[in-house]
Amino acid sequence: MKSAKEKRPAGQKQYYRRKKVCKFCVERIDSINYKDVKLLSQFVPERAKIMPRRISGVCSQHQRLLNDAIKKARNIALLPFSTE
Amino acid sequence: MRNYEIMFIVNPNTPEEEIDKINGQVESIITSGGGKVEKLEKMGKRRLAYEVEKQREGHYVLFVISANGDIIKECERRLRVMDAVIKYITVRTDEEVRRGEKIRAFRQKRAARRGSNRGGAPTQHSEEAMQ
Repeated sequence: MKSAKEKRPAGQKQYYRRKKVCKFCVERIDSINYKDVKLLSQFVPERAKIMPRRISGVCSQHQRLLNDAIKKARNIALLPFSTE
Repeated sequence: MRNYEIMFIVNPNTPEEEIDKINGQVESIITSGGGKVEKLEKMGKRRLAYEVEKQREGHYVLFVISANGDIIKECERRLRVMDAVIKYITVRTDEEVRRGEKIRAFRQKRAARRGSNRGGAPTQHSEEAMQ
């Protein structure tokens, strides 16, 4: 129960976690193209790893498409496999 | 016939005419085998995400074609042999296009059903099924 302030130990901060939504579902993006580097790079943070679903909030169907697209893009040197 | 995309990277030190020559060769392979080139796009010089054959840059060329497996096989063989081409990828696109159409049709159907069936019986499919 988030609203019950009295129950929390003193000094503990209250969190209101926003519900994550899948970017692709919201924007009605059906197909994820491997050539769209600008879109894909949003899901490859610094170390060039693919961002996990639990962080980005992407739904499983779109995560799978995203995965394929990123891997294709890596193959043709549009995205890095790793950083130096 | 299936739809494919062939993308390849040409060495940045090759002159423009040389690239056109390579494109002409690839095109002739496709058309002589009975395929069709739907689009040929020179995407220009781009930075590579990682080093390929000691190069950090490359000319990207994209072919959108409809062809069969034999033509693709021949194309890939030729691209592999060419010294100026440092990397290539072939992607089949027709399945993806078909999938997109299916989703669009589904969405339209749902929108229509929603319009006529407001407040009525619950819809059969769950809303998240296709998203």
